[in-house]
Amino acid sequence: MTGHSASPRRAGETTVADRHWLVWFARCGPASYLSHLDTARALQRTFARAGIDLALSQGFRPKVRFSLPLPLPVGAAGFDELAVAEVTAGAPPPSDAVRALRAAAPEGLTPTRVRECSARVRPRPRAARYAAEVRGDAVILAAEAARFAAEDEVLVERTSPKGRRTLDLKRYIGDLIVEAVPGGARICFSVRHRSDGAARPQEVVDLLAGRAGCPTVVHRLTRLGVSFEGVPRDEMSGREE
Amino acid sequence: MQVQSTASGRRCPSGEWPRDELEDLLARVTRPGRYVGGEFNLRHKPGARPRVVLSYPDAYEVGMANQALQILYAGINDESAGSAERAFCPWPDMADLMRARGVALWSLESQSPVATCDLWGITLPHELTFTNVLEMLDLAGVTLHAAARRDDEPIVLGGGPAVANPWPLAPFFDAFFIGEAEGRLGELVEALGAASRAERLEALGRVAGVWLPPRDDAGRAGPPARRQVFAAFSSTMPVTRPVVPVFEAVHDRAVVELMRGCTAGCRFCQAGMWYRPVRERPADMVVDAARQTLAATGCDEVSLVSLSSCDYSAIAEVVERVRALRPGLRVSLPSLRIDSAAVQLARFGAGQRGSVTLAPEAGTQALRDRVNKGIDERQVLESVEAVFSGGFTGLKLYFMLGLPGESDDDAAAIAQMAARAADLAKRIGRGRARLSVAVSSYVPKPHTAFEHEPFAGEAVLRRRQGLLRDALPHSVKVAFHDVAASLVEASLARAGRGSDALVEGAWRAGARFDGWSEHFDVRAWDAAAGSCGVVLGETAFSALGAAPWREAVDSGIEEDFLKEERRRAAAGLLTEDCRGGRCVSCGVCGDGVEMDVVA
Repeated sequence: MTGHSASPRRAGETTVADRHWLVWFARCGPASYLSHLDTARALQRTFARAGIDLALSQGFRPKVRFSLPLPLPVGAAGFDELAVAEVTAGAPPPSDAVRALRAAAPEGLTPTRVRECSARVRPRPRAARYAAEVRGDAVILAAEAARFAAEDEVLVERTSPKGRRTLDLKRYIGDLIVEAVPGGARICFSVRHRSDGAARPQEVVDLLAGRAGCPTVVHRLTRLGVSFEGVPRDEMSGREE
Repeated sequence: MQVQSTASGRRCPSGEWPRDELEDLLARVTRPGRYVGGEFNLRHKPGARPRVVLSYPDAYEVGMANQALQILYAGINDESAGSAERAFCPWPDMADLMRARGVALWSLESQSPVATCDLWGITLPHELTFTNVLEMLDLAGVTLHAAARRDDEPIVLGGGPAVANPWPLAPFFDAFFIGEAEGRLGELVEALGAASRAERLEALGRVAGVWLPPRDDAGRAGPPARRQVFAAFSSTMPVTRPVVPVFEAVHDRAVVELMRGCTAGCRFCQAGMWYRPVRERPADMVVDAARQTLAATGCDEVSLVSLSSCDYSAIAEVVERVRALRPGLRVSLPSLRIDSAAVQLARFGAGQRGSVTLAPEAGTQALRDRVNKGIDERQVLESVEAVFSGGFTGLKLYFMLGLPGESDDDAAAIAQMAARAADLAKRIGRGRARLSVAVSSYVPKPHTAFEHEPFAGEAVLRRRQGLLRDALPHSVKVAFHDVAASLVEASLARAGRGSDALVEGAWRAGARFDGWSEHFDVRAWDAAAGSCGVVLGETAFSALGAAPWREAVDSGIEEDFLKEERRRAAAGLLTEDCRGGRCVSCGVCGDGVEMDVVA
């Protein structure tokens, strides 16, 4: 659950009538450079500006009931991102809410759909598809993609504040396609989200670009789509309102 | 695997954003959100003229908390044909990359080079941001010295409280605006309509409050500019649609300025002189502004700001009414004077959380009287009690070392007061109370009663910091201001003509972000001081007793008043607040400028 400490308004009030929403949104342009927490904060502020009250948790320090099930890396755009929100009973119908949220959102954050859902919905990411541009020779990069596909195991080391960990990218990466674009190449790939985690887009680029001997700086990283477990299929296929 | 894929070619409504050269930089720096804009309530007026860029010479998250920038931004964009955009000082990692790639400083709104604007207004908050001004000019590709600027370069205009003495930056600016610019925005924008740069500068020079510095060392400066007071403050609605960062900023709350000016008369305080006289907004206006600002920002906290919010005549009514706007809304009062705070804190604290800062300033009664603080220890301890009884869990006590007339005993007395406050905190706060002490070094400033007092100096400040550190109870957390940074402030605050060489020398030696401990490098300043023949900590290019700032700035404060205040300080005499009814003849009122308080 992502949520900042909020004022205790409505804390302790009925939660029976609170409603559960799945909110799809696009994050691009300047908003691409927000961190996960900043994205959550900006969306919560968008709700407040739209006059739609988010429900609060119980307790001494209530938190808003709002979460982003899958963080988007800083610098990445995403056109089909999902937020899970719990709103108070007085919230408008979803179709009106989309219009109000769009009017209240900052540049680059665009709510696209709102669907009511049951309180039991707990979206868990299963897979995500990305596109990343690098400055390098598309032919060499494509050869490295083919080499990757032929390998049984590709071990990379991840260093984080928690320590070092070795992962096998082959367990997490699905199809890997390289195509030429002006000035470089676009790498498209899918990432499987497993119970033990997932590969990071930068790790895929580091591997491929590093092997190809080109800069590993990612340009125009975009998450093209995400599939979630726990979200009904008809909810996933709704189109922009 | 089922992947929900979007249609290929889906485009961001922001278009191809950002341009390639910026994207490459943003991918390599910390906190790229500093450089991209895209905030709530941002105004973008493509093609509007004149194009003004407003800057605060510090990092984005610090600059966005500056109220002057919000006021001028809203004023120009909403009330004139021109446009105002923003640019802040790039963090060193970004600055180094920009230089390496040859990318010039851009504005957040249009991503256009700052150098192509018509007017670049830079707020000058304090001396430790001066090298950042040079850093920004250089990164923008604007010629450093105003005298050498080409006709197609922007006019660089300085403003803010540090223009109380503009000499250390005079050669880098085309002009300075002295005082509050809200009432002169129309004239400033109009002056930019002239054909040539020289004509625009001439037109600017005719606007009240504008001072044109001399263009060479021997040159004659224009007459001193009279500090401008925004007389319509009380009848003008504050900014209700401020730009709200989506990237975490220093202050994340809706802000309403309920009062400007403070006449408590603390003799060390430059702001207390600079923003005179007191002007209050009516309670109805403050409440309405809070309501509108909350709706426009989505914030869940309102800060009622001024130099001393507890002195606002209708503070109790306003706090109560603002709180009633929304159940559970938090209301904060960031600047509290102890004498007026004690009676209010318990009421304001109810239902609040967080911490409060109170400023006794000095440890002994004699020294507090000398600086005209006018409070006794009983009031301090009453306030401490009120803080913790009212529900706050943290209290910071703020003191200064190096005040005129201070002895080692005065420094040690700070520890004794802190110890008594810590005992109270322990008794009332039931284990949850946290007490800390912040100690800065006093630097005498122009236009104050202490403008001719000597700076305490490095040895004295370090000795007294040591004395205090040893005497404080272990349970009290203490933070000291870096003495080396105070030496720089002391050298520049009252510096005279030619002191720009010190600033430029330090910047060329690598100084930038001097207000940030991780970036402050005293060696750069030492090297520059050595080259200029200046001792760091001693006033640069001016003698004690001289007042070079008066050649540039007429603050409206009578010199005789300041001299009398200095005499009274030495005698330990208090001067009462003129809000009580007795005029102290400071000289500010008159010619349409008057105190304006809520009846």
